[in-house]
Amino acid sequence: MRNVGIVGIGHIKFGKLEFELVDIMAWTALEAMKDAGIENGIDQVFVSNMGGGIINRQCGIASALVSNLNLEPAMAELVENGPASGSSAVKLGYMAIASGLANVVLVTGGETMRSLNGWQATDFVATLLHPEAEYNYGLTLPAFAGMFTRLYMEKYGLTEQHLAMISVKNHDNAALNPFAHVRLPVTLEAIYGNPDANVINPYMAEPLRIYDMCPVSDGAASLILCNMDIANRFRKKPIRIAGIGQATDTHCVHNRKDPLELTAVKGASEKAYKMAGIGPKEISFAELHDAFSILEVAESEEIGLFERGKAKNAIELGETRVTGRIPINSSGGLKAKGHPVGATGVSQIHELVKQLRREAEPGRQVKEPNYGLAINFGGHAEEN
Amino acid sequence: MIIDELEKRLRPVEKKLPPYPPKVITLASGEKMVVRQATRDDGPVLLETVRPLIDVERDFYDVVAARVYSELLGWYRYRVADEYCLVGTIDGVIASLVNGRTVNETTGMSYHTITIKRGLRCGAQMFAAKMEYHFEYLKQKEVLIVAESPIGYKRWMIEYQLEARPQVQHELGGVPTHVLTEPLYQAAKPRLVTGQRPVSPQLLATADEFIAPSEYPQIPGFKR
Amino acid sequence: MLKKIDKNVYASKCPKCGHLHYPAPMRCHECKERRDPSKTVFADFEKVPLRGTCKLLTFTRVYALPDGYDLKYMNFGLVEFENGIRAAGQIMTDDLKLGMPLIAKTGVVKEVIGKDIYGLQFYPCE
Repeated sequence: MRNVGIVGIGHIKFGKLEFELVDIMAWTALEAMKDAGIENGIDQVFVSNMGGGIINRQCGIASALVSNLNLEPAMAELVENGPASGSSAVKLGYMAIASGLANVVLVTGGETMRSLNGWQATDFVATLLHPEAEYNYGLTLPAFAGMFTRLYMEKYGLTEQHLAMISVKNHDNAALNPFAHVRLPVTLEAIYGNPDANVINPYMAEPLRIYDMCPVSDGAASLILCNMDIANRFRKKPIRIAGIGQATDTHCVHNRKDPLELTAVKGASEKAYKMAGIGPKEISFAELHDAFSILEVAESEEIGLFERGKAKNAIELGETRVTGRIPINSSGGLKAKGHPVGATGVSQIHELVKQLRREAEPGRQVKEPNYGLAINFGGHAEEN
Repeated sequence: MIIDELEKRLRPVEKKLPPYPPKVITLASGEKMVVRQATRDDGPVLLETVRPLIDVERDFYDVVAARVYSELLGWYRYRVADEYCLVGTIDGVIASLVNGRTVNETTGMSYHTITIKRGLRCGAQMFAAKMEYHFEYLKQKEVLIVAESPIGYKRWMIEYQLEARPQVQHELGGVPTHVLTEPLYQAAKPRLVTGQRPVSPQLLATADEFIAPSEYPQIPGFKR
Repeated sequence: MLKKIDKNVYASKCPKCGHLHYPAPMRCHECKERRDPSKTVFADFEKVPLRGTCKLLTFTRVYALPDGYDLKYMNFGLVEFENGIRAAGQIMTDDLKLGMPLIAKTGVVKEVIGKDIYGLQFYPCE
């Protein structure tokens, strides 16, 4: 198998964007190509997007992007894997190069969700649930996250204050990230425990509150992947993909043996560690899928950064802040950077590359990073 | 005061409305939003604040801003009866404002909510303050409400579970009327109404003179 | 003639090994026996109505409901039936505690154009 490196990254500011879906994808693809120092020569394009068919009523987006950028006759596919579409596209890019099918791959993830209101966006994402056994009841991803949180708090003594501290940290990081949707620091005193907090930070899916949940964003991000053997042709030093893992879990959450275990996250990380020949101790920083603050806690434990039930101690000690022992979500995470679903997995890798190149903005550059790890997942931990 | 005879006939008879006691709300950013009732003297700065939004199509800012402008101007120049305006300020700068009027002793009418500062749910707090004014200080039994934007509709109608009363005509031109009754208000209050009183004199002093915003997230590159 | 609406929610039992599933898969997760809802090539799985007492495993009250639910909030939960089957559904009481017993019934869980959709609703035990 050939080694694969990342030599170009591109991103657009998440939030409400005025461009069309394919245009915002094209913008970031051009940014990534500029970063890599190329204008052509892409063998394969993988586009990740979840809602083109539903939200934009547009199919065949990968070919549309190729044509928009005049990259014909590059091979092109659209990858739809729920909110994990982005990391799936990166994985396919990796596979295409590792197998020898392609030398240079463009991976672009994008989503425009702001044309929907919050209620419609919640409904759109909920379409990945089981149609009869879950979706028809009005169940949504926030509902499952709320039920998960209640059990987790009961078992491990996590409190709403811990969750609020994660939110504050991620907002602080996003405030320094020019690509983040919500660049607005929030304070712990304001969102937790003061007389106004119940109204300012109301419950959305008890015990989760509004500041425990990601916003609805438009956005896109792109990467240029290449065969490491030809990496010296590009402008920037490559960042090697050391390991990739993916796993799935039951479609219906109720069919999991232990509803508190994110088996797919654990399985995927074990595969990635094995492939990279490292363990959690070697990880310098991580981008985790915090569509809900509780997920940052649970994932950080599943991937071995902390013992089960112990992530809360790290939160209390500030270990997951940019200045801490193991920074998590230096980008602001899904919570504050935003979660344009199809773009998220690609955006997370964008952040890993930026950090590993030491190109992050002052105040959110992780100290001496060697290995970065990203978890992107779809549904309530179905695909990773 | 001497008023021209004709002007006297044109001016509505105005009641003196009971005052809305100022309150302060700590926003998620930690910023303190002071909510106080505007006086007629505040008219010009309120109009100046609203005016730029008349050109913003997104989220029906144009419709709402144009109407708020005319409502406030009408009030300022004595052409609307019993109107009030509550203003939320952060360090004196106007973040959001709401207005309405009383129809009679028992019934209030909500006009509009317009928010400049986005992302901190200032508008939701100001709408709640307006309902608080009608029920707790004007002691009314119900408030007539219409929504002109989809966000407004979803937020007010669902969060407060308003009662539909399409047979009643609201002044805002035939849009279906909804009603917040006192029991509905009391049910919504714990989750939606907040703010602390009294406001310290120092904090209240920051809102003595309202300041028109120098930046509008709705208008990139805005210059006054 | 229009078919009468079946308001039940069913677990499906493998005819070969008796393993219970919910929702129904196209092969038994235990013995790999295939299921054929049309009963032309293979047998269909036996339908076992999901109802009766169950235990509340976890719950939430959701305020941000998806489009189409014009309600202030709804309660949802995961339950376990006495036969070991677990399911998600709507909870019809506000007074909730982890582990409490509930009674599962079926009712209209969603209205779509011209049609009611039935599903599991959990009530407190009398």
